[in-house]
Amino acid sequence: MTKLDWKTSARIAWRDLSGGFRGLRLLFICLFLGVATLAAIGSLTASITGELSARGQTMLGGDIEIAMTQREAEADELAAMRETGELSETIRMRAMAQVADAEAAADGPQAVLSELKGVDNAYPLYGEFALEGGVLDDALSPEDIVVGQSLADRLQLAPGDPLRYGEAIFTIRDIIADEPDRVGEGFTLGPVAITSIEGLRRTGLIQPGSLYESKYRIRLAPGADPAEASDALQAQFPSAGWEFKDRDRASPGAFRFFERMGQFLTLIGLTALIIAGIGVGNGVASYLGRKRPGIATLKILGATSADIARIYAVQIGIVALCAIAVGLSMGAIATPLIVTALGDLLPVSPGISFHPVPLAIAAAYGLLIATMFVLPPLARARTEPAAALFRSLVERHNPIGIGTVLRIALAGGVIVAIALFSAREPTFSAIVMGATVGALLFLYALGWGVRTLAKRLPRPGNPTLRLAIANLHRPGSQSPAIVIALGLALTLFVTLASIQTSLTAEIQTTVPERAPDLFILDIPVAEEARFRQIVDEQAADTALNLVPTLRGTIVEFGGQRVADLEELPEGAWFLRGERGVTYSDVLPEGSELTDGEWWPADYDGPPLISLDREAAAVMGVEIGDTIVVSILGREIETEIASLREVNWDTMGFNYIMVMSPNTVRDAPHTLASTLALEGGDEADLSRAVLSAFPSVSIIEVREIIGQVTVLLGQMAAAIIAAAMVSIIAGIAVLIGAIAASNQARSYDSVIMRTLGATRRQVMLVQAIEYALLAAVLAAVALALGLLAGWSVIVLIFEFAWSPDWFVVFGTLAAGTVITLGIGLASAIPLMSVRPANALRQL
Amino acid sequence: MTESDGGTAIAIHVRNVTLSLGTSSAPVDILRGVDLDIGAGESLGILGPSGSGKSSLMAILSGLERASGGSVEVAGVDFSRLDEDELARARRGRIGIVLQSFHLLPTMTALENVAVPLELAGVDNAFDVARAELEAVGVGHRLGHYPTQLSGGEQQRVAIARALAPGPKIVFADEPTGNLDAATGSSIIDVLFDRKHAANSTLVIITHDVSLAERCDRIVEMKDGKIVADRHP
Repeated sequence: MTKLDWKTSARIAWRDLSGGFRGLRLLFICLFLGVATLAAIGSLTASITGELSARGQTMLGGDIEIAMTQREAEADELAAMRETGELSETIRMRAMAQVADAEAAADGPQAVLSELKGVDNAYPLYGEFALEGGVLDDALSPEDIVVGQSLADRLQLAPGDPLRYGEAIFTIRDIIADEPDRVGEGFTLGPVAITSIEGLRRTGLIQPGSLYESKYRIRLAPGADPAEASDALQAQFPSAGWEFKDRDRASPGAFRFFERMGQFLTLIGLTALIIAGIGVGNGVASYLGRKRPGIATLKILGATSADIARIYAVQIGIVALCAIAVGLSMGAIATPLIVTALGDLLPVSPGISFHPVPLAIAAAYGLLIATMFVLPPLARARTEPAAALFRSLVERHNPIGIGTVLRIALAGGVIVAIALFSAREPTFSAIVMGATVGALLFLYALGWGVRTLAKRLPRPGNPTLRLAIANLHRPGSQSPAIVIALGLALTLFVTLASIQTSLTAEIQTTVPERAPDLFILDIPVAEEARFRQIVDEQAADTALNLVPTLRGTIVEFGGQRVADLEELPEGAWFLRGERGVTYSDVLPEGSELTDGEWWPADYDGPPLISLDREAAAVMGVEIGDTIVVSILGREIETEIASLREVNWDTMGFNYIMVMSPNTVRDAPHTLASTLALEGGDEADLSRAVLSAFPSVSIIEVREIIGQVTVLLGQMAAAIIAAAMVSIIAGIAVLIGAIAASNQARSYDSVIMRTLGATRRQVMLVQAIEYALLAAVLAAVALALGLLAGWSVIVLIFEFAWSPDWFVVFGTLAAGTVITLGIGLASAIPLMSVRPANALRQL
Repeated sequence: MTESDGGTAIAIHVRNVTLSLGTSSAPVDILRGVDLDIGAGESLGILGPSGSGKSSLMAILSGLERASGGSVEVAGVDFSRLDEDELARARRGRIGIVLQSFHLLPTMTALENVAVPLELAGVDNAFDVARAELEAVGVGHRLGHYPTQLSGGEQQRVAIARALAPGPKIVFADEPTGNLDAATGSSIIDVLFDRKHAANSTLVIITHDVSLAERCDRIVEMKDGKIVADRHP
């Protein structure tokens, strides 16, 4: 017989485990934490995106949707749509909801920006339009309107009260309980109000050039393919400038957001698992270190290295599989709990569901990380010589062999392959993983550097300091492991503090300094002079910026039709649907010309366009190339005359596309205005503008900032929650490393106490040792943490880098004290052992 | 197995064995050219003060350590040509080892400890053989006890049972009574010799106890890594 069979290996392994799993606790905790996090993130993402897909028909309000801006469908277009299936039409626009009885609402706001929607009798094709008073089963009359609860609350109105929109006064019939196609409508600026299409027309807000969106939802015959139906309609009206959606992607924006957020959080979770992997490695090394006499004894009894590897692989495998199973269960169970906790923050409410794919991926990551980090200590254990029993105090560093290195590389390669294969943005994923591994290698090298330096330092006269320094390099020293764990924990503290304070600063400080106070949309072009006059009367020193505004879709660039692209180029968000278009004689404020020339004021030649430099780079077009833009259903071929650097941070009107005035001046359009008030009352100005121009929409910047603040706050909370797992994993690794080092130094501790040292003195040695490490690591963590924070803020969020240094340094100091406190606290049990008892064990 | 000049079969044949430990820049010479033949069925006591190299010699003879130089032939197998795993396989069933500190596996019962080498050697009825061996050394009533639940003498009896259970032809005992009181130690040595005679195995005992060494057929004395005397008691 040359090799122990698996059955016998398992029997011996199980018997050896009868002493308990205690030695493999760190392996269990670290693996459990990492897998549970990944399983929870994956399951939650799958639940939300699955629900978004499953409820596609209801969210879209049909099997397919055709949307167009600033116009309604022509008769021939409507006929084609009706031939395709049952049709429902809605028109949606931003409009000011005004209190009709001003005296009754003297205490509250008298106008609120809202989303006004007109629906036909067929609405909704799918789902139920629920009102507080019951499901809407008859048509809304042109005089009736139903409003969202928040609109009623803000204007202090109730059913039966009058409500004005433009030139029309409605009666509030009921409060909306559930707008079935709410998620499919995408991002909105205000609360919703719904009336009939006839009611909407009564407002007089639908004018040539005003900004509104018409949506046509079609219910297809059972079995009909939405994609085929869309293609057929598109082929019939290739130049209509329609935007199609189908039930499979009813809310592409929300789907994309949650998919991306899920991937970003998965990367953070994977980072946590990699950190946990170090704990796994340390835990197994420590466990096998304690098993060293047993391993040597087995070898004396005739066990080969392969037998040893099998026996301990079985033990570690049992614990790892238990940890992964418990982690998966916790992750799956946590999903409905997180959904409940998040409540209305989610666009959909996924019920309890089971998602095997993300759980399988989490399990695969767990197994692969465990394999990577378990193999080195296992390989060292298998080569432990039998003679170790006789020379147990001599430290050996057994090589792990090329076979083990190849297996580790293979496991790492599979992890990278899964991460990149499942990523929407592989480059980003690769950078995050590369940065994590780079930071770990750097900290590992630093740990060995500290150990080597401590060895070469002259021996101090103070015995406490001498012992503390000796502990950094003694045989069995855990300095490298402690440096990695403590370094990671402190780095994460600094990263989170710098991200959080930069986000807060971006919202609270930077934005208000540069942002205007009001945006006013849909100002009639012919009324520009009157508008200026009203503003001048209400607030004379107001900085006023007026720009023409249209909506246009890029349908072709450099000879390439956008509709023919299988996938949009990375960063080409502006090719997705309509974007704002303006025209100007001069270079707009906040832009800088980087290439080409601006057209002369009286230019009257072929259509010219000036593009944002980054957008041009994404599309791969240059000066002289052509861009075809569809405006109001008409395709306009333009030549690129110049490129601009747009400063997006100003929160003013920034347009990717600026056209020469002769190109679109005659198309129906409106003006948009920004106002930065220097004195004067914002409410008075709004009231005056609104009474003169009932059709305008007034957006308070405070309101936008409020919404953005909430959104960024939620994103930051999700990132911090996922990163907390990394910190907990880091602390678990730290405790494990300190526990392992406590084992190694228990001999010293007992001997010192036997010789008269107090427990305080022994603890002081350890405290000095950790303080020395912390001093080195604080500087390193500060640099690494700030680099990571800067990358997230500047490269991912594209915000200004403005951390609060007081908070960053405070967090670093507090993090150092907390982690060291936890570390030292774990040494207390060692101190409570009586020397006489401990000596019997030595 | 070779034969000695007197016609006795040779179990162990060692020539010019050296052992150096430490680093290449600061080597520590433990054994300095040892020559030794041990006959099959013979009992040999190796005597010497601490640091004389007797435990290291036993480690080399039992295949736990590889010699730095010279040749080692045990039961006809050239140990100097074998790697760690081959040495482990060579030990299975052929060599039994009893150590001063017992080195029982703390997580296993007495019965399980004795069964392990049998299982490693692929013996089918490992637990039956182990039970019989434990009864033979006088701890048949302690089968289900863990090492921490046994006295020092009982632990050493279990260690002897574990070494002898696979029926080895050569048994090494390194200071087998070093951790025991005189009375217990004497009874342990009785067990060791009884079992040796029953199996007609070769027994090598490392000790600094002269009276124990004198119970052997032959005594070798070591000093500074060399054999300085080879005599019959």
